[in-house]
Amino acid sequence: MTSSIELVCADPTVRAALKAWLDEGRLDPPGPLALHVRVAHPPVDNEPGRAVFEQPGVLVRSGAPGRGVRIEWEAAPAVAELPPGETTAYVTLSAAAAARIHECLRTFLLTVLIFLLRRRGWHHIHAATAVDPRGRGWLIAGDAHAGKSTTAALLASCGWEVGTDDIAFLTGAAAHVTAVAFRQPIALRPGGHLLLRRRGTVRLPERRKVGYWPEDLGGRWISRAEPRVILFTSVAERTLVTRAEPLARREALTELIRWSAWVMLEPEFAQHHLELLASLARQAQSYRVTLGRDLFAHPARLTALVA
Amino acid sequence: MTLRYRRHPELRLTALEGEGVVLHLGTRRYFSVNESGLAILEALKSPRTVDELVSALCARYEVTVGRAEATVREFLARCRDADVLLDESGS
Repeated sequence: MTSSIELVCADPTVRAALKAWLDEGRLDPPGPLALHVRVAHPPVDNEPGRAVFEQPGVLVRSGAPGRGVRIEWEAAPAVAELPPGETTAYVTLSAAAAARIHECLRTFLLTVLIFLLRRRGWHHIHAATAVDPRGRGWLIAGDAHAGKSTTAALLASCGWEVGTDDIAFLTGAAAHVTAVAFRQPIALRPGGHLLLRRRGTVRLPERRKVGYWPEDLGGRWISRAEPRVILFTSVAERTLVTRAEPLARREALTELIRWSAWVMLEPEFAQHHLELLASLARQAQSYRVTLGRDLFAHPARLTALVA
Repeated sequence: MTLRYRRHPELRLTALEGEGVVLHLGTRRYFSVNESGLAILEALKSPRTVDELVSALCARYEVTVGRAEATVREFLARCRDADVLLDESGS
């Protein structure tokens, strides 16, 4: 599937990598968006004084309405400007950044894409998505060590439809919030890979992980899920038995804010983003889940806990 | 001069099951408020005096003026501590 996001880039190597990444992600936002990328010396910030929001490897400078957003990569000089009111991101990669394009895609350009999609009402959440055999949508939120990918792989191995293990975008209206998946391989660390006892088909040596498509595991990829179950997962050392604790909707909303932290930036989009998170907390039943090793032998236990 | 208050322009709030969740985009902090706190913050979208806030609470809930005033003053004090409130002079 070809991405509907317009890509303008004169550098053939960078363009090929970007196009493959966007096409593989299979995002189809509800209106035109454009990514203009050039390889040159990145420009200086001509809107100094904007507050800085730090993410691993990436700085986001954002301020009052009408001042736009500037995103900087820390690993090599690279800058993106998203001017106010525009649906185009203007990206400048230094030659050093262009030489590390695959790393750049995973960190810096993913952040640029997240801010670009906000301009069409799609709001990022750090979560896995799936649809169970009964047709219920699931959202599994948490940090990089919360077991999202392993759980997504287990669910795919049970024949579930899985969208993403990490990157989703919330969209929709009251009572019908949908999580749209950015398609990429489910990436497992060696421990998860061994416990799953399945061979992955995508090698991710730079991340020291093994990648699986849901189809490799007996599942199927799905673009959209309307979450009716939300899990906020964690993995505790030596935890053998999986436990789930129901959350009140207000607790669920504060957790959703935590995993959809861009809600704090860009005042012009914050209210819509917050309302979307509140609608999601209303439409789904949420649980705080401590994942145990029992799930590898009995993956159905997860469904039983939240039935 | 009667002091008027308004909520910080960088606040965003939403209601959920009668309570409220409030984001402060300036400090990037978020917190929850009870039903009456949410009603006061909603009223503070425009500048309001304490008396106007008390009237708003009395119109919305079955509560005495004395009780409503105590609730308003206590909530405003907490809002001031959390930097979510501006007075007429912008302080």
